Amino acid sequence: MSKRTLGSLLIGVLIGLAVGVYLGWVQFPVEYTNSSMQALAPRYQDEYTVMVSEAYLVDRDAEAALRRLAVLGKENVPDYVQDLTERYITQSNVPAIPSMVALAEAMGRLTPLMEVYRMPPPTAPASPVVEGQ
Amino acid sequence: MAGTGSTSRRGMWIALVVGIAIGLGLGLFYTWELDPVIELNTAPWQLNAAAREDYVIAVAMSYAYNNDLARAFDRLRAVAPDRDVWQMVADIACERHKSIQIASNSDILVMRALERLYRSQGASGCADGLYPTPAPVVFLSPTPVQTAPVLPPPPTKTPVPDLPAPTASPAPLPTDPPTTDRYIIARVESYCDASRDGLLEVRVFDARGQGVRGVPVLVTSGTGVRDQFFTGLKPGREPGYADFQMEQGRAYQVSIPGLVSDPRSLTAEPCQAQSGGETVTVTTSYRINFQQQAN
Repeated sequence: MSKRTLGSLLIGVLIGLAVGVYLGWVQFPVEYTNSSMQALAPRYQDEYTVMVSEAYLVDRDAEAALRRLAVLGKENVPDYVQDLTERYITQSNVPAIPSMVALAEAMGRLTPLMEVYRMPPPTAPASPVVEGQ
Repeated sequence: MAGTGSTSRRGMWIALVVGIAIGLGLGLFYTWELDPVIELNTAPWQLNAAAREDYVIAVAMSYAYNNDLARAFDRLRAVAPDRDVWQMVADIACERHKSIQIASNSDILVMRALERLYRSQGASGCADGLYPTPAPVVFLSPTPVQTAPVLPPPPTKTPVPDLPAPTASPAPLPTDPPTTDRYIIARVESYCDASRDGLLEVRVFDARGQGVRGVPVLVTSGTGVRDQFFTGLKPGREPGYADFQMEQGRAYQVSIPGLVSDPRSLTAEPCQAQSGGETVTVTTSYRINFQQQAN
C-alpha cells in the first residue's frame, strides 16, 4: 500500500469518525425507553413528589409515601421533601404547598417557614376500608 | 504511466471511502456503546414498566385528592402518548389485582383511586368493582346523660344556688349503618382466561363493603345440577370469596339467602383465550358480587 493510499485511508477514518461522533451524540443519540424513576427529568421528579404528597392526604400513610418516594433514589427522602417544600414556598407555588407541607410534617420536617401553610389535622376519622381483598 | 496514475488515484478514492466507513462505524460504536449520551431529562414515557406503574398510581391518587381530570389526563398522556391512557390505567389496576399486591389499606385506596379514574372514562378491566367503596359510616350523637344526682336542697333559711347542670357530653360513638339481610347482585362480569377454565367466582360483601364469611351459595343448573358451598373457606382468599367449577355448555343460576335481585343466568360458553402464545378454546368464567343492602 502506497503512502498516498494510506494517507487517504487515514483521512477517511478521521472524516468517518467525526461524522459518526456527530451522528451518535447529536443527531441520533441513544434513546432510552426502559429508564428508572431516578433518571426522570427534575421537573417530572418534582411533579411526582407533589402527587405523592397529595396521595398522602388521601391515605395518611407516611410509610407508603416514603416507599413511593424511595424509587427516586434520593439519599435522604425527608431532606429532599423538606428542600422541595421550602423551594415551593419561596417560589410561591401555591397549589403544591399545602400537601407538601403536610408530607414534610409527617416526615418530621416541619420548619418555621412551613408553619403558616400547615393544614389542620383531619377531624373526622378516615372512612373504613375493606380488609383482605 | 497514465494507467498507473489512474489506478493510483482510484486506489486513493477507494481508501478514502473505506476509511470513512471504518471511521463512521468506529464513531457510532463509540457514541452508542462505549460512551453514550448521559441519560438526563427522561420523560415519563421513557420509564420502564415498574416505574410507569408507580407514576400512574401517583396520578390516580393525586386525582383522588384534587379531582382535576384535565391535569390527570395530561400527566397520563406524558406516560403513554400513543395509547388509550384510561385503558392503560385499567390494565395497571388489573395487573396489581392479579399479582396480589394488595396488602394494606393504602393499597386498597390505590385500587379505588385507579378504578375511579378509569371507570369514569368508560374503560374497564379485571379489577372492576372488586374494591368497592364502603357505605358511609353514620355517627350518631347520643343525648347527654345526666351523671350528677340532683339532690333536694337542705332545709335552710338562706337560699342555696341550684346545682349547675352537667356539661360533660360523652364522645359520639361510631355505629354500624343499619343493615338488612337483603342482598342484591352488585356486579356480574364474564372473562376468558385459559388458567381459569369455567371458574365461577362468587364474592359476598356486607353493607360496609367487607367480605362476609360463611354465606351459603346455591348454584343450580337446568340439567339438575344443584350444589351448595360457603364463602370464606378458600385458603388464601378473602373472607367473602367462594368459587365453583362450571361445565361447558351449561347454564347456571347463583343465589344466596336474602337475594332480592332477579337471579342471573350464567352460561358456560366456549371462548378463545391465549395460552403460551397459542389460541385455545376454554370455557367462559364469571365473577359475581353480592352486596348487602343498607336500610
